[in-house]
Amino acid sequence: MIEALNAIRDEALRRLAELGADAPEAEIRDLRARYLGREGSLSVAMRGMGKLPASERPEIGRLANEVKGAIEEAFETAQGALAARERAQSLASERVDVTLPGRTPAIGRVHPLTQTAERATEIFVGLGFSVAEGPDVETDYNNFEALNIPRDHPARELQDTFYVADDIVLRTHTSPVQIRTMKQRKPPLRVIAPGTVYRRDDDVTHSPMFLQIEGFMVDEKVTFGDLKGVLTAFLQEMFDKGTRLRFRPSYFPFVEPGAEVDIECFLCRAKGCRVCKGTAWIEILGAGMIHPEVFRAVGYDPAACSGFAFGMGIERIAMLRYGVNDIRHFYENDQNFLEQF
Amino acid sequence: MRVSLEWLREYVPINQPTPALAEALINAGLEVGAIEDLGAGMESVVVAELLSVAPHPSADRLSLCEVQAGGETRRVVCGARNMKAGDRVALAVPGARLPNGLEIRKSKIRGETSEGMLCSEQELKLAEKSAGILILPPDAPVGSPLAGYLGRDDVIFDIELTPNRADCLSHLGVAREVAALTGAALTVQDRTVPEAGEAVGAMTSVTIEDAGRCPRYAARVIRGVKVGPSPRWLASRLEKVGVRPINNVVDVTNYVLFELGQPLHAFDLAALAEGRIVVRCAREGESLVTLDGVERKLTADDLVIADANRPVALAGVMGGEATEVTAGTADILLESAYFAPLGIRRTAKRQGLKSEASHRFERGCDPEMVVRASDRAAGLLAELAAGQVASGVLDVYPSPVRRPEIRLRPERANALLGIDLPGDAMAEILRRLGIAVEIQGAEIVARVPSWRPDLAIEADLVEEIARLHGYDRIPTTLPRAPIQSPEAPPERRLEQTARELFTGFGFHEAITYRFVSPGWADRLGLTVDDPRRRNVRLRNPMREDQAAMRTSLIPGLLTAALANLRRDQTDVRLFEAGKVFFDSGEGNLPEERVALGAVLAGEGRPGFWGKGRAADFYDAKGPVEALLDRLAIRGARFQTEGLSPYLHPGLSASLRWEKERLGELGMLHPEVAAALELPDTLFLVDLDAPALLRAAAAGFPAFIPPPRFPAARRDLAVVVDESIESGELLEQIGLISEKEFREALRQIEVFDVYRGEGIPAGKKSVALRLSYRSDERTLTDAEVNVFQERVLTRLAKELGAALRT
Repeated sequence: MIEALNAIRDEALRRLAELGADAPEAEIRDLRARYLGREGSLSVAMRGMGKLPASERPEIGRLANEVKGAIEEAFETAQGALAARERAQSLASERVDVTLPGRTPAIGRVHPLTQTAERATEIFVGLGFSVAEGPDVETDYNNFEALNIPRDHPARELQDTFYVADDIVLRTHTSPVQIRTMKQRKPPLRVIAPGTVYRRDDDVTHSPMFLQIEGFMVDEKVTFGDLKGVLTAFLQEMFDKGTRLRFRPSYFPFVEPGAEVDIECFLCRAKGCRVCKGTAWIEILGAGMIHPEVFRAVGYDPAACSGFAFGMGIERIAMLRYGVNDIRHFYENDQNFLEQF
Repeated sequence: MRVSLEWLREYVPINQPTPALAEALINAGLEVGAIEDLGAGMESVVVAELLSVAPHPSADRLSLCEVQAGGETRRVVCGARNMKAGDRVALAVPGARLPNGLEIRKSKIRGETSEGMLCSEQELKLAEKSAGILILPPDAPVGSPLAGYLGRDDVIFDIELTPNRADCLSHLGVAREVAALTGAALTVQDRTVPEAGEAVGAMTSVTIEDAGRCPRYAARVIRGVKVGPSPRWLASRLEKVGVRPINNVVDVTNYVLFELGQPLHAFDLAALAEGRIVVRCAREGESLVTLDGVERKLTADDLVIADANRPVALAGVMGGEATEVTAGTADILLESAYFAPLGIRRTAKRQGLKSEASHRFERGCDPEMVVRASDRAAGLLAELAAGQVASGVLDVYPSPVRRPEIRLRPERANALLGIDLPGDAMAEILRRLGIAVEIQGAEIVARVPSWRPDLAIEADLVEEIARLHGYDRIPTTLPRAPIQSPEAPPERRLEQTARELFTGFGFHEAITYRFVSPGWADRLGLTVDDPRRRNVRLRNPMREDQAAMRTSLIPGLLTAALANLRRDQTDVRLFEAGKVFFDSGEGNLPEERVALGAVLAGEGRPGFWGKGRAADFYDAKGPVEALLDRLAIRGARFQTEGLSPYLHPGLSASLRWEKERLGELGMLHPEVAAALELPDTLFLVDLDAPALLRAAAAGFPAFIPPPRFPAARRDLAVVVDESIESGELLEQIGLISEKEFREALRQIEVFDVYRGEGIPAGKKSVALRLSYRSDERTLTDAEVNVFQERVLTRLAKELGAALRT
């Protein structure tokens, strides 16, 4: 009996080894049944154990279990290897073309002018400014008179105006928001006013409708140095930390002293190019200390407060930031243009 | 204003290099826009004498010339034929690089050595075109640099002046500024007028009828002038500042204008009726032919210079044709006057006429320059036109113009600028600008010179101090200010939210013009009483299709969609947030409100590859629902009533919340689409921001604890008439009143609508998924079955629904 069990084990292991690594699963299953199945040789042999004398049974039983375990393990190993091979084969057959485009819902873009205006607003909000707005259609008084630009003033010529009625205009700048805000509120004020403005002008660098951001601050002791500080902080954040600024005297009727602010040309690094017209500087905004007449127009005492104001064109900044060479692109709404930003 | 540095030097010494001078002016507020070096390329061109001209031995068209320019004799091969021995010519020596870029080298031309080139005007860029070489006058000094001889040894600054700096509209004015900046003294020019003969008063008279508009008028008479061309130096200076020389008399008046800033006018004395001048306003019905040949109808608000009978000049703007100086003129009446700025501006504007004179007068001239300029011009006319200057000047100046006295508090100036400059340093700066100052205690009393009408208040002087001290020297500081809450208009937040959502749905943000064609109302078929016909109209639009402020975003979005489709974009998705305007009646500002709009055409799911599907109503509705959800607007209803006429009546919906109309969305009406040449599967969204803000739930969403017991989800497919909308099914289910049912039902979803096999014609199957849940326990199957039965019963009774089998 001992020999018979050992022979069964040896034969089973040998025949399994002979099947080889590539044997189909069915053959392994058939072979396994020949030994371990209900009518398999090991099962048959083990059923014969009942005929053995009682004294031999424990030893033979142990041996039979050993043999059964060894055979089972061998078949499990073989079947495990086979399953692993099949999994690998199946994985190898499942392939995607990784270069096909992914299924992304098309994402639209925010208009470059909005992006620029929002970025500028965000920087000023970070500097402690609140946001105010005013109407596009304004009174002549708020747009001009209160800003120290009386009728027949030569400065009106700089801003060719759209008229709705004798005393109603499309605002030519966001400065009337200064008047509206100061009339409603008392200092201290730090306000930023982004908005749409209009001038009768239409060419490569002028659009009859364009965007501006106005900003102003009024308190007891606001200085021209503060104006320089706020604008330097803003422009260095908007363009580049290292950007150099130039403040030079200029004229706007609603400020005195008045200034125009240039940034160093970042394209040619001050060597002179087409964008800065060879001057190494790019004009970026107008500013100054709020004129006493403006304070009087809103009922403030010019002796008791001081303030600065500034205004800039969003298109100009966007053109510089993105290298756009014709202002009209911004209002054509060509998706080929919009999707680039 | 073009400024010649050579001319400027007559009034102020300039010791710094050109770029440094330009920078100093820019930093003082005189923006030097362009710098033009007139002598560039003429450095190696000299005046030479032509000694001999002989034919080239081996070229018919060339000559061999011997020239001499002070040193040795040179041989030059020349292709021109207009020269002869003895002529003075322009010689470019080897090494020269001419203004037109040509480089001159010693070379052999057809076997003959050529040591330079004889230049034409064209090559020197003195003329657009020229035939032959430049032949100079016989007195041109041989050997001297040509640029110097021609007055081209000069640099021009093109200065862009702000409207307040009228004082710098002349060489003297800029010289004053340079002197103030550099500390150099102005050069005083000694000009005497050689007067002779009869007194001016015997020959003419001046009457000012409106001294408010003409505070000062000075007349001189110059007799026996010989009208002819101006000498080279004067013509050259005029050309350099951009004025074409005409004749010596006109040129002298222009010359003085650019030198001293005082506009002058010369009348032919013989053409003035009674030889006298009356300064008055025009009478109704009077007219005048100005020097540009235009007949101008005058109004009572136009100031004119008249003779005894009629207007002869538009005062301060332009002279008249009838009294113009001509070749035959012998006696001249020379006008030098000061006109008040506003009147000149009104006339120039009304007549649509601008001149160098009106440009200066309307910005403010120097009333004290009137006689000095008259003297200067008279001297030049005597010198250059052989005129005899009558004795004296008729100077009518009834009430002298006074400039104000301004009190400057140095403390205030320092506080405004953020600097710490002593009072006497400020006084010194003002003094350099020609301002008379006197220190009275803590204040500086400043008397403004007659040429600076722009200085009127303390702040003006603060600017003068700042700009001469240097803006760059003012320390940069950040203001100290209290923290404040960042306020922003609520529309701004709404715009931002909508922008975020719509771009997330694949819409690009558009910004369209806020003015549109007034014809849109008709094109969109708006009814006569539609409020969107209440356009604000522009009085002076640039184009007819920009003549009205928009009352809707739709015209702009349709225009943008059309432009994109024409550029072969098949998928259009544009979104806009912006103001619309409604007329509020005469004298009122219009109502402005923010609208949100979108346009959609082409692919329904752009960005996905594989089999696509065309955009439909639900692609437009999805983003709108998402926006409602984001704004926490509960209970908004999509209805088929109350649509704009330009929307397809069956494929569109208006959006309501309580009594509020939030907007509408849907397909463009096929007839409108056809008329606009747009595809008829184009969808629009049009929402009203103020209404959305009113509907938006205030505050934060209330927290609901996450469920602890599982939900029972059951599907129910019912067959109903085609005409029944899914919304009606949901509405009926919502009306079931039983308490247990209402508590348990948490969600209903329409997940399929089916027509076709198995469903009778005219009917459709709608599949609903209902979720039931209790917060206390797990619901039993039996309970849920009762709920489902209740739903089916309700739908069968109210809408004739049958269970789909």
